[in-house]
This record gives sequence, structure tokens and C-alpha cells, in this order.
Amino acid sequence: MNDYRPPRKAWISAAAAIVVLWPSPALATQGHGGIEGVYIHQLAHLFFLLSMAILIYRLRERALVKKKGWRYIQYAALFLILWNIDAFTVHLLDDQLRLIRLTRMDAWQLKLTAPANGYLVRVYYLAKLDHLLCVPALWFLYLGLKHLLADVDRTMAEERQP
Amino acid sequence: MIFSSLPVYYVDMLGSMTMIMLSFMCLVKVRGLKKQDPDNIIWTYLQWVCYALAVFAISRSAGHLLKQLLLFSGHRVAWDRIRPFSGAVNTFMFMVVASVTIFFERIWKVYQQILVDKQALQDAHEELLYLNQNLEKLVSKRTEALAFSEHKYRRIFEVSKDMILVTEADGRIVEINPVGYEMLGYQGANTSPVGHFLQNHFADQQDWRRLSRMLGREGSCASVEVDVKRKDGSRFKTLFSGSLDHDPAQNQEITHFVVKDIERRKSMEQQMAQADKLASIGQLAAGIAHEINNPLGIIQGYTQLLLRGEKSGGERHDDLKTIEKHVRSCKLIVEDLLNFARSSDPKKEVIYLHKVVDDVLSFIQHHCDLGRIEIVRDYIEDIPTVLLDEKKIKQVFINLIMNAIDAVGQDGTITLATDYDATNGQVFVRVADTGYGIQEKNLSRIFDPFFTTKPTGEATGLGLSVSYGIVKNHGGNISVQSKPGLGATFTVSLPASPKPLESM
Repeated sequence: MNDYRPPRKAWISAAAAIVVLWPSPALATQGHGGIEGVYIHQLAHLFFLLSMAILIYRLRERALVKKKGWRYIQYAALFLILWNIDAFTVHLLDDQLRLIRLTRMDAWQLKLTAPANGYLVRVYYLAKLDHLLCVPALWFLYLGLKHLLADVDRTMAEERQP
Repeated sequence: MIFSSLPVYYVDMLGSMTMIMLSFMCLVKVRGLKKQDPDNIIWTYLQWVCYALAVFAISRSAGHLLKQLLLFSGHRVAWDRIRPFSGAVNTFMFMVVASVTIFFERIWKVYQQILVDKQALQDAHEELLYLNQNLEKLVSKRTEALAFSEHKYRRIFEVSKDMILVTEADGRIVEINPVGYEMLGYQGANTSPVGHFLQNHFADQQDWRRLSRMLGREGSCASVEVDVKRKDGSRFKTLFSGSLDHDPAQNQEITHFVVKDIERRKSMEQQMAQADKLASIGQLAAGIAHEINNPLGIIQGYTQLLLRGEKSGGERHDDLKTIEKHVRSCKLIVEDLLNFARSSDPKKEVIYLHKVVDDVLSFIQHHCDLGRIEIVRDYIEDIPTVLLDEKKIKQVFINLIMNAIDAVGQDGTITLATDYDATNGQVFVRVADTGYGIQEKNLSRIFDPFFTTKPTGEATGLGLSVSYGIVKNHGGNISVQSKPGLGATFTVSLPASPKPLESM
């Protein structure tokens, strides 16, 4: 019986020679046309939503929400979560699934059409008013910072007292 | 479905402007926080969040405003060109906001650690400041406390009634207190026990080995009874307590010992045992004496009755006389036993002790041949009177002096000394002789009734027992110190009378 086995180096050299001598067609750089931009935008919304949820969890875990300033910041995070859901829904209906068709009738009227039913159109119209969620978020953030600053001012004043 | 575009326009335009305004208001507040505490990492973190949000708000709102304006003015093509760029910037900015926000937990932990470290530094700083300002005062205070402590323990060491000593591991004495000098017999000597081996003062080396084993095994020992040998060779009983220690100065093992002299306590215990024994014998003797005394009286009475009917010189008369003589002897013994048992109350009167002793001496000198025996009187001058039954106390001194004469033999000295202890109100009479002394084994039995070292027929062995009973009946005590060949000293102590003789 012949026990001879070719060495491992020989196999590797042979494989490399085949790849170099008989190459297959390859696309070295992937293109990003089409709907990829919408997906990345949607993923960014989900990431933003997740980070806000984590922030709320950490604030509550550390019991920081007992202080007024951090409690308002918690509310800001909550509104930003709602805003992300809202924006995600609009992009889903509009750009991703293309379920809603928007036509400007004139300067004061919009025509919204959906292939399935009418309630989706109403949801889309309401969801387009997303500033009703992101403005309160920033307002709560402002209130939170204002209270934190007031707390710091009070503490500093107490420390300065003899 | 047709909708009015006005709500969308208004909310979009107003909302975008409000977003920009609010994001700047947030920046103002967070800058205020940073200004108050520039090193606070939480404020830095919030500042980053606010900056990202502001950029996001501007890019998004500007995009929305531009969109509405371009669409409203009919420039859809222009908006379609700007739209991808605006959307990309928005995407990028809220990813930045999300990325910064997600680090909140890590930033908070760092902040907490900074606070802990800051507090520790602050505490250390304050302590250093305090030490720096009060170092001299603290050193002075600590030195004073140390001096006081040193003085206190030095006093305990010096005034202790027990021997306190420190030895090295091999038993070499390193330090010893003044009582130790006294106990080991170095007081007044030019030499010192320091540097000597403690085990050389152990009467039995077995005791030292036992003590060393105990210290090695348990690290300490408590109340171990040891016979200690003084410098002059005399011995006394002690209790040893000790513990091992480490001397940091010399970096060696040392042992601390506290040694209590229990010789006196042991002696007291022996005396009490002797007194108990004699009290028991006394009770027994009194019982027997009472029982024998009555039949003896009857025998004596009938013998005397029979003698009346007999002519003197006859054989029966002589026989009855012999019976009467021996009955009288028996009665005397019984009387002695009763005296020993202290059954009768003494008839006390205030007397002058020197006179009593002198009377006894005169009586003895009159009746005995003292030969070359020298009698020395060593009386103190101001001896107080004593309340005594003179007849009985004379019997005591007769017994003691007669014993001394017997012990001295033909040639020797008998010293009669008196003393007075005003503190305890005790008068002492010592009868010391230079005779053959008493063997140690007999010392504990010397006051026992019928105990005698003399040949049978020469003594009844009741003399000292009777003396013991009489002295005890007077509230006093009698003791003996003796060494074979060096004579014996009997000491009678009696309570001094509160009434002086002149007032009687």
C-alpha cells in the first residue's frame, strides 16, 4: 500500500495558481443606488429610538428621575422615542413600501391616495405632523437643563455660605 | 383623499423654527452648567448631546424650511437636488446624537468614580492640613500621654507587692522589680539578680522544665506553684504566672513573670488546719473527761470512806491509799484534759505580765536545780496590762519553761522576752531555748494531747495541749518555731487589756 501524501503547502500552492490563472468576474466595489438610503435612514431612526430607551432605563435604574432636571430629560427621551416611531412610520408608508401617493392639487390642498383603505391615508396625514412630537422633546430637554442648572446654582450658593 | 395642506405647512414651518430656537436655548443652559463646574464630566456629556441635537435641529429644520419654500414657489427640481444631501445630513446627525447618548452609563460610572476619588483627596488634604497645623501640639500631647503611661506602669512595676520580672527565652533575667530583689534575697547585697538565670532560683529543676514546657505549648501559664530558692539557700513557696512576648527593640522572645509569695498563706493554712484538728480533739477529750470524772469522784469518795474505818499502817489501809493516789492522778489528767478542751471559763483579772513571768521563774528556781542554765530576761519597758486568769496563765509559763529546761539539759540559755504590737493590741511572751530543738515532722503534732517525745512514764504529753487550751481560752495564740539542734521558740500572744493597772 502506498502511504505517500502530498504536503499541505503543495495543495495551497495549487489552489492559488488556479485562482490566479483562471479568474471569475468580480465586483470589487458594491453600488448604493436605489432604496439603500431609505434603509439606512430607517435603521438610524431605530438606533436613535434604542439609545433613548436605554437612556430612560439608565436614568430610572440610577434613580436619577427623583430629581426634577433628570425627570424632564427622561420625558424628552420619551418624546424622541415617539418622534422616531412617527418618522419611521411615515418613511415606511411613503418611501419604503410606497403605499401612499401624494399629489399637490394646488398651494392649499394635498391629495393622498392609498391602494388599500382610507384609514392609512389619515394615519399618514397625522404622522406628517411630526413636529408635534420633536418640539415637546426639545422643550422638555430645555426644562431639564434649566432645573439642573438651578440645582447647581443653589448648591454652589450653599457651599459659599460660611 | 383631499386634505388641507395648511396644517402641514404651519406645523412644519413653525415647528422647524421652534426646534432651532429650543436647541439654542438648550445650548445656553448647558453652557451655564459648564461654567459653574467646568470639570464635571456629566455636563461635558450633556454639552455634547446638546451640540449634536442643535446641529441635527438646524440641518433638519433648515431642510424642512427650504423644502416648503421651494415647493411653495414651484422649484421642485431644485428641492429634488437638495433633498438627498439634506436627508443624509439628518441621518448622520441623529446617529451622532444616538451614539453620544448611548455612552451615558459609562460616563456616569466615571463621574461617580471621580466623585469618590475627589472626596478621598479632599479628606486626605484636610487631614494633612490638620496635621500640619497641629503637629507640634499633637506630638507634645502624645509625648505627655506616653510619659504618663510610662510613669503609671513604672509605678505598678516598682510598688508591686509581687515580684515582676522579665527574662530572655533562656531564662536570663533582664529586668526585675525591687520586691524581686527582696524576695530572691538580693536586698542590701552588692550583686544583682539581673543577668542571672531564673531557673537557678528554682528549688526543683523539674518545676522549671514544667513551666518552660507550658509556656512553649500555650504561650502563658497561670498560678503554677513553685518552690523558690533565695540567694542564701532558704526556700519559700510561690505562684508563678507568665506569658511570652516579643521584644521589638532586641528582636527576640522574652517572658514576663509575676511571682506571688504564698509562704505566709501556706503557713496560715497549716495553722488553721492545726487549730481545727485541736478543736476536734478538744471536743472528744472534753466528752471523755466528763464521763470519767464522775466515776472517779465516786471511787475517790468510797476509798476515803473505807479509809476512815482502817487503821493506818495496816495492809488494807496502804492498798486504799494507793487507790486514792492513782485516782487523784487520774483526776489531775482529767482536769488537764478539761483545761485543754477549754470547758471552764477563766476567772480573769487585770494583771501585769512581767510580774507573772517573774513569779513563775521564782517558783521554778525554788523547786528545781537550774545548774548552769542561764536565764535571760528581755522585757520591753512599757508593756500594757492583760486580762488573764493568773493561775492558769502561770500554768502555761510553768509548762513552757519546764519544757525549755528539759530541752536545754545541763548547759544552755533560756530567754524570756516580751513584746507589744500596738497596732493589733497584742502582747507577746517568747520562751526561747538553745536546746536540741524539735524535728520538723513533730511540729504539727506538738500540741496534740498525749503527744510526747519523752520516754513513757516521764511525761503525760498533756503540758503543751493544756497550755494551748488555756491560751486559746484567753483569746490568744501559741506558736512554735524550731530547727533541730538550734533550739525552739514558743511565742504566746495575748490581747492587751483596755484598762491600765493604775486605774484598778
